[in-house]
Amino acid sequence: MSTVEHSEADRGACFAAAPQLPDVHPPQRIRGRFASFAFQHPTIVVGAVLLVLVMGCAAFAPLLGTVDPGAVSPARRTRVPSEAYWFGTDMLGRDVYSRVLYGARVSLIVGLSVAILSSVIGVFIGLVAGFVRPLDAIIMRATDAMMSIPSILLAIALMALSRGSVQNVILAITVAEIPRVTRLVRGVVLSLREQPYVEAAVAAGARTPKIIRQCILPNTLAPITVQATYICASAMITEAILSFIGAGTPTSIPSWGNIMAEGRAIWQVKPYIVFFPAVFLSITVLAVNLLGDGLRDALDPRSAKRI
Amino acid sequence: MLAYTARRALATIPVMGLVALFVFSLLYLAPGDPAAVMAGDQATAADVERIRATLGLDRPFLVRFGEWLWNVLHGDLGRSIFTDMPVTDLIGQRVGPTLSLMVLTLILSIAIAVPLGVVAAWRKGEFIDRFVMFFAVLGFSLPVFVVGYLLAYVFALKLEWFPVQGYSPPQNGFWQFLRGLILPSFALGLVYIALIARITRATMLEVISQDYIRTARAKGLGPTSILFLHALKNASLPIVTVIGIGVGLLIGGAVVTESVFAIPGLGRLTVDAILRRDYPIIQGVVLLFSFSYVLINLMVDLLYSLLDPRIRY
Repeated sequence: MSTVEHSEADRGACFAAAPQLPDVHPPQRIRGRFASFAFQHPTIVVGAVLLVLVMGCAAFAPLLGTVDPGAVSPARRTRVPSEAYWFGTDMLGRDVYSRVLYGARVSLIVGLSVAILSSVIGVFIGLVAGFVRPLDAIIMRATDAMMSIPSILLAIALMALSRGSVQNVILAITVAEIPRVTRLVRGVVLSLREQPYVEAAVAAGARTPKIIRQCILPNTLAPITVQATYICASAMITEAILSFIGAGTPTSIPSWGNIMAEGRAIWQVKPYIVFFPAVFLSITVLAVNLLGDGLRDALDPRSAKRI
Repeated sequence: MLAYTARRALATIPVMGLVALFVFSLLYLAPGDPAAVMAGDQATAADVERIRATLGLDRPFLVRFGEWLWNVLHGDLGRSIFTDMPVTDLIGQRVGPTLSLMVLTLILSIAIAVPLGVVAAWRKGEFIDRFVMFFAVLGFSLPVFVVGYLLAYVFALKLEWFPVQGYSPPQNGFWQFLRGLILPSFALGLVYIALIARITRATMLEVISQDYIRTARAKGLGPTSILFLHALKNASLPIVTVIGIGVGLLIGGAVVTESVFAIPGLGRLTVDAILRRDYPIIQGVVLLFSFSYVLINLMVDLLYSLLDPRIRY
């Protein structure tokens, strides 16, 4: 049978005569499927395209007409954007365009690392809380305490303890984000444990590791993926904030936050030094958030209806 | 009700205790030896040891934690390493601007976000709904300092409606005071507005599909009274919860907003303390903010039974 839309009359005839059934999954051209996916989840596509563009900027920064982002040239200080300096130059004569492009690397690395690290650690602690009942109360009180310290403040406090470096920024933000994942996973585990198929697995004599692997983990994947994208977005904002107030990425490595911090003193006369990293940061975070919203709608239709 | 209040209040004590333990560990783990700093460059190892003993730095962790907690409960947060002023005095000087900023942000955000969410739910799928939802995504994606600079550039630098930076205390005229806080409040409040508008819309959508809303409509009530009197009252629990949780966002954002608009509040104090590694100040501010956050959410919990008489304890 062809994939052409059947008319009502055709369907009626099918019922009456019960001829050969149509293919359950009619073969489709790839392009058609992609187009329908893009139509159903436009936010995923827009988010992914924007993100790929920013990733391209970060990965191919040396090929995109940049110069050494740390190259100081006092003679060419605070030039306005022009053909030679697309985004102008800063107070030390460094090329803002090159700095912004290289700065994308820090944001993306921090965002991705925090999302992955906090998800992995959070899943582990969440599983422990969900399965080892005596530890549950302790872990939950600890997450309560951690979550009652506003996360930016917690990251600031941790950064105050350590030297400013990209690794430490990643660690500080990860610690602040872990409790959220832990609570999410624990909630999922507790509700799954009551499901008949998990009870059946227990009754059939399956050992806990096997139950975790086969019944629990696959079901946490969707909410964790969605949560991880939001964590990635908020980690990029937190990194920028930390660098902006001088407690994050060291000034030797350009990051959107510290480029803005350096432009802060003269932003009223030369707003472009603050403007360009701000635009890049906002677009990147927006892309990740759109991706997250789209994934949430696609993976968890129930919550999509609610919010 | 009284018993419940007492029980809930008691339940926050272990949480606050853990927060205090964490904040204390911060100073305990902080690099640098205060005794060596105080002793100076020419001090011998014995001198440093003696100073350490006089300061009580040689005693075990838990003993020092207990003593520190005792002092904190008596309102003594220690002294700034840099200026040697009591941390409580420093916080006292700076708390005014931050509190004003946060209260104004809270009022503005709720006044804007709740009607936005209600209208979006009422007109679901129409232009205004899409606009509110897009605005919410934007609100989550624009970092507070980006919004701050944008607002300052347009409304202060170009249009000159508001002062660009700085803070004018209420004693120098209330209008002047308010004018200086409006842009920072909007910058700080954007993400909060997005959060509240989204949860308001979501809860209202659930509520307006209920039977009693149809009854209200059937007996001839207008949309304003149905939405804002009947529906909103029943949708208030999740909204109030999110308002409480969102204060955490405001606290973090205030630190940055104060840097952008040069407001001499607790945020500036924190940032300066970080740059100088003045740990007692960082400790005090983190402790103060966290305790306020816990107390605000305790109040939200206690509000539940006022908002919904069906909840009894």
